[in-house]
Amino acid sequence: MKQDFPIFSREVNGRPLVYLDNAATTQKPSCVIDAMSNYYSSSNANVHRAVHTLAGEATEGYEECRKLLKKRFNSDFAVITSGTTEAINLAARAWGEYNLQPGDAVVLTEMEHHSDIVPWQMLAERIAIELRFVPVENGELDMNALDVALEGAKLVCVVHTSNVLGIRNPIEQIISKSKLVGARILIDAAQAVPHEEIDFKGLGADFLAFSAHKMCGPTGIGALLISEHAFSEMKPFMGGGDMIETVTLEGSTYQSNEHKFEAGTPRIAEGFGWAAALEWISKIDLESHHKRLLQIARDVSEQLTAKGMTVYSSLNPGDAAVVSFTHPTIHPEDFARLLDAQGIAVRTGHHCAQPLMEKLGVNGTIRASFYLYNDDSDAEIFLSGIDRVLEAMA
Amino acid sequence: MTWPASIQQIIDEFQEIDDQFERLEVLMDFSTEVDELPVESWNESNLVRGCQSIAHIEIEIRENEVWLKAAADAKMVQGLQGILSLAVNGSSPESVLQLTPEFAEEAGILVSLTPSRSNGFRTMFDMVQDRIREAIK
Repeated sequence: MKQDFPIFSREVNGRPLVYLDNAATTQKPSCVIDAMSNYYSSSNANVHRAVHTLAGEATEGYEECRKLLKKRFNSDFAVITSGTTEAINLAARAWGEYNLQPGDAVVLTEMEHHSDIVPWQMLAERIAIELRFVPVENGELDMNALDVALEGAKLVCVVHTSNVLGIRNPIEQIISKSKLVGARILIDAAQAVPHEEIDFKGLGADFLAFSAHKMCGPTGIGALLISEHAFSEMKPFMGGGDMIETVTLEGSTYQSNEHKFEAGTPRIAEGFGWAAALEWISKIDLESHHKRLLQIARDVSEQLTAKGMTVYSSLNPGDAAVVSFTHPTIHPEDFARLLDAQGIAVRTGHHCAQPLMEKLGVNGTIRASFYLYNDDSDAEIFLSGIDRVLEAMA
Repeated sequence: MTWPASIQQIIDEFQEIDDQFERLEVLMDFSTEVDELPVESWNESNLVRGCQSIAHIEIEIRENEVWLKAAADAKMVQGLQGILSLAVNGSSPESVLQLTPEFAEEAGILVSLTPSRSNGFRTMFDMVQDRIREAIK
């Protein structure tokens, strides 16, 4: 598969690139790069307004992305955003601000990415909602504590798959429990959509947020899928062009569809690129790749443990192929730079999940995350790289 | 660019190394050049902010000479502090203020000096100059 990805023809520090930072962003196949380049070289125009040919092509290409999203994820509404972060902020502003009252409870978890904590903290500052955090015990959500937190809750926001640990939460169970108390449900699916097929309507959540760039699409574009009920409860929060129906000096009316949440010129080239990525990924058997990658991650985890590392990922069935680990004495930053010197890209730090790091009792971890194009040889090079680091630091 | 002899020597040493891994090993060797700031002296005022690792730097000016005390939990960051120490220790405050951090790029120690979470060198360099300015004003 690597031949589909031009970046793998380059070297890093004189070595072939071994890219294991996929939970941060994935590489892009040629079809995505070509789609964006072709848009700019052949169809560049603004969308939704002009009647000329280029505008028609641009609109069609951009809206094709939305069509593919709705089809792939089985959703009636797909608002295109700049990514997961903006998608969650949109839910907080356009739904939260109009449907939550002071004192209303919003349930979050200690496993959330900062993107699913800070928007709710900001909302709490504005309308004094109560934030309840479900604790993490032994790397997993405490489901008994969830039951307590759900009492009287109006909204539940939960990460589907942890970006730090790769753990897939029992999302179906969380949704059914949340529904029993009548809460709306937002799922942060940034790390889930790259690894498994998601049926939004089948899941029964109200919001699903994710980004294109973690599934071989471009950066700067993502989506918020919204249930019919939740969509009817939302109001636009960002005003401007493209989201209006009529504007007079006395007031404005808004579009009735997703466009009312997409003020201004959208990310047109990125829409073309994401559409290409969605078509490319639709031909991939995600389930069998996921099993293969999980096995690679388990083998790597076992070897790292044998080499004296502490591995925080459980790598249970359904988890993402993410191995988060620390060494007893070598600082993650030193580790990552010495791996980079060998052409191996991994991530270090708190992974935008400081509350979870605090719970794990570490300042940061080293994270190797595997994706579709990674194979056994990447794992072998990574483990040899680890050996060289251990030797140098002995 | 012309650098003071102490810095030129560091640049030359790094430029002789082709392999990035070896370059980083040499960088870590520089960690021993630091006059270590004891852990009990680590505090908010000498904390290097924006660094991925925990790093502290203190500046002392004695008889018109700058002296640096520093420490970090990551060996490479302490190596960068060691290089900073060699670059500034014993120099006058005015000559340290004339320095620019580009020597780290020229030596190939860092790919980029853009301030970011992954690059504390620029932050540490700026902190040293800021503290000198505060001390001599």
